[in-house]
Amino acid sequence: MMKYEHCIRCTICVENCPVFRVNPDFPGPKQSGPDAQRFRMEREKSVDKWVLLCSQCKRCNMACPCGVEPAEIILQAQQRYGLQNPRTLAYLLFANNYYLSALGSLTAPLANKVADTKIGKRIFHAMGITTYLPFPKFSFKTMKSAKKKKSKSAKKVAFFYGCFINFYRPDIGRKIIRLLESFDVDVVLPDQWCCGLPALGNGNLAIARYFAQKNASSLSNYIDAGYDVIYTCTSCGLCLLHDYPGILEIPQAKKIAESTYDLHEYIIGLIDDGYIKPQFGAVKRKIAYHIPCHLRALGIGYPAVKIMNMIPGLEFNIFDDTCCGLNGSYGFKKTNETTAVQLGKRAVSLIKKTGAQNIMADCGSCRMQLGGLSGMDALDPAEIICESLGITDEK
Amino acid sequence: MGVTQHDVIIIGAGVAGLTAGTLLAERGLDVALVAKGEPTACLSTGCVDICSLDHEPLHGISHLPEEHPYHLVSRGVIREALIRFQIIMEEMMLPYSGSLENNRLVLSALGTYKTTCLAPVTMAAAPQNDDDDLHIITFTGLKDFYPSYIIARRKNSSFSAYNAGVSTTMGLAANFEREDFLDSFILWLEKTKIRESKIALPAVLGLESAAAIVKIIEERVGKKVFEIPTIPPSMPGRRLFNALKDYFRKKGGTIYWSWPVSGVEKTKNIIEAVITPSEGRPNSLNAKAFILASGSFVGGGLHARRDTIVENIFNLPVFNPGKRDDWFDSDYFSLNHTIGKAGIIADSSFRPKDAPWENIFVCGGILAHTEVLKNGCGHGLALATGHAAAVSCIGYLK
Repeated sequence: MMKYEHCIRCTICVENCPVFRVNPDFPGPKQSGPDAQRFRMEREKSVDKWVLLCSQCKRCNMACPCGVEPAEIILQAQQRYGLQNPRTLAYLLFANNYYLSALGSLTAPLANKVADTKIGKRIFHAMGITTYLPFPKFSFKTMKSAKKKKSKSAKKVAFFYGCFINFYRPDIGRKIIRLLESFDVDVVLPDQWCCGLPALGNGNLAIARYFAQKNASSLSNYIDAGYDVIYTCTSCGLCLLHDYPGILEIPQAKKIAESTYDLHEYIIGLIDDGYIKPQFGAVKRKIAYHIPCHLRALGIGYPAVKIMNMIPGLEFNIFDDTCCGLNGSYGFKKTNETTAVQLGKRAVSLIKKTGAQNIMADCGSCRMQLGGLSGMDALDPAEIICESLGITDEK
Repeated sequence: MGVTQHDVIIIGAGVAGLTAGTLLAERGLDVALVAKGEPTACLSTGCVDICSLDHEPLHGISHLPEEHPYHLVSRGVIREALIRFQIIMEEMMLPYSGSLENNRLVLSALGTYKTTCLAPVTMAAAPQNDDDDLHIITFTGLKDFYPSYIIARRKNSSFSAYNAGVSTTMGLAANFEREDFLDSFILWLEKTKIRESKIALPAVLGLESAAAIVKIIEERVGKKVFEIPTIPPSMPGRRLFNALKDYFRKKGGTIYWSWPVSGVEKTKNIIEAVITPSEGRPNSLNAKAFILASGSFVGGGLHARRDTIVENIFNLPVFNPGKRDDWFDSDYFSLNHTIGKAGIIADSSFRPKDAPWENIFVCGGILAHTEVLKNGCGHGLALATGHAAAVSCIGYLK
C-alpha cells in the first residue's frame, strides 16, 4: 500500500466522496485520510470523531491516481477511535450484527412484529437507530436449513452466502444453489459467520478479526479439499479479498483470495471454459443496474453485465456513479440518516429518469435502500438469471 | 485466471483514452477501457486548449518544433476530432463554444485570462476584454475563490456573497442540482441590486445539469451568466470526464475501474493480454489491439526515477530530455522545464517507435515533446492524437 506521503492533494478523492457531497460536517477523504494522518500520533488519544462519518464505500481508493487509498487510512483511524473512546450503543449493536440477526431469525415472527410497532421504533430511536427504512424482515428459515444434495461433479464450490441472504432472504440463497446445481456444480454450505465487515465499519477490529479467523479456517479447509469459494454479496466479497489480507491480517488470506469468486464471475468462467452452454430465455424487463460501490472496488469489472448481455429481451442501464447511501449499518445510525437519505434519493431520481421498471443490485443493503426509497422491486442479478433459465421459487 | 476477449483495450480513462474509445465504439468494435484511478482531466478547467501560442490555434501549431506530436496529425483530422467532440458534448447536454479558427479567453479566479479554443457553454459569456462590467457572486466561507483579486484588475466590477449553508465547491455543486436550492438562490439574486451587465460565479453550478442551470439563471435574472474555473475540486473538469465516459458507455464501451495494469502477456511482435493484480487473484483481459493513453507524470503513465524516466506497463522506450540536472529550469514557475518533453516517441501510425509490437498504439499526454503547459495544448492534443490513434488502430484491425 502506498503511504499518506504519496498524496499529491489533487482532490480527485474528494470529488468522488458521496458523504462529502451532502454532509458539510465530513471534511472529505483527503483531509480525514492522508492530511490528518500526519498529525495522528501513537501516544496521543484519538480525537477525530468525524472519521466515523466515512461510510467506507472505497470510492476514494478507486479514484486516487497515486494509489494512496484514503479509505484504508480512515479505516485504521476508525478502529483507533473505536478502541480509545466509549462506544455508543448503536455502534456496539451493529458490530455484533451477526448475533443480533441470529437472534432475530430464531424468533422471527415475534422479532419482525416488534420491529414494526411504535414501541419497537421508539426503542430503535433511543438506541440511535433510524427507521426511515422498514427494518428488513428476519427469515425463520435460514440458509443452514437448505437441503444438501450429494453428487460428484467436476466443479465444486463452497457458498459464502453472507448474513443478508442468510437472515433476511434465504430464498435467494436457495435459488442460487439450484442455479449452480443446474450448471452441474456441487454446492456445499461451509460453516460460516459474519464476514467481519460490520464490525470493522463500527470500529471494532477485535470482533471483526474473531469472525474472520473462524471463517478463514472453515473456508481454508474446503479450499484444501479442492473447492472454490463463491460469494454473492459484494461487500462480503471485498472483506474476504481485501480486508482479510489487509487490516485483519488473516494468515490464510492469500489462499482464500486466490480461490474466491464473485458468483457471476464464476459463472462467466464456466461459460468461458466451455463447461456449460446455458440457453438463456427471454426476460422482458427494463432494469436499472445499480453497481454497489464494493463491486466497483473489487476490480473485477461488472461480471453480471456479461451475463445480462446474453439474456434476450433484457434492457438495462448501468449506474456506477451513485452510492445508494446506506452502506450496511452506516445509514441505520441516527447520525447518518440525513446523509443516507439524501444520497439514496439522488440515486433513485437518476434511476427513475430512465423509466426502469426494476432495480437490480448485487448487494442486499443497496437493494434494501433503493427498493425502500423508490417503492420499486429491487432484485438480485441471480434472480434475473434464474428467471431467464426457468428456475422458479421453491414450492 | 479469468480471460475475457475484446477487440481493443484502452489503458487510461482521460480525454485521449475516452476519445479513442468513443470513436472505436461508434465503429462497432468491442472496446474495454481499464483505469487505475480517475484521470487528471477531473482536475482541469474543462476547457480544450488546442494551441495557445497564437490567436489562431492552427497557426500556432505550425510554429511548434517539428518533433511535436501535433505534426503527426493532419489539419483535417484535428478539425474532425474537434467537431466530433463538439457533437458528443452537445448530445451529452454540455455544449462547447468556440471554433478552430480563433482562440478565445476565459476569465480566471485571479482576474487574468486563460487562452483556450473550446470552452464549456457555462463559460461562453466570459469577457473577451477588460471593458465588460461584472458582478461577481461568491459563497460565504468558500475557500480559494476571492472576488477581490478579480475586482482589483477590473474597473466597474463589484461582488456579493450568498450564504448557502455549505462552503465547498463540491457541496455547492450538489446543492445546485436541487430545484429548491436553485430557486432560493435566484430569488436572492433578484433581490440583490446588480447594476453590472454580466454575472460571474465560481464554477459550482451543478454537476449533471450545469448548462441548463446557467440558462435558467440567465432567463430569470435577464443578464448573461458565466462560470469562472476554480482550483480543484474542479466541477468543469469532472463534468467533461463524466460526459465523455457516459457517452463511451452509451456507445457500448465497457469500463473496468480499479484496474491497474501490472503485467502483460506478449509474444515477439504481439501484445496478447494485460493483467491486473485484482484483489488476491490476477485477472487478465485479451484483445486484438491496445491503446496506451495513461497520461504523463501525474496521470501515472510516466514515472521519473532518480536518473531516468520510464514507462512501467510495457516498458516502452522513453525519450529522456537529457540527464536529471537538465530536467528542470531554475525558475519554478518557468514553462521551460525540459521534463515536459519526456515521453514516448510515436511514428506516423501512432505506434511507439523502436518497440517490437505491431498492435499497440499510444496517444495523449504520454507522448514525447508535448510540453502541454508551454504550448497550451491541454486536452486538444489528447483529442487529436486519441482520434488519430483510434483511426490507425481501426486500419490495423481491418
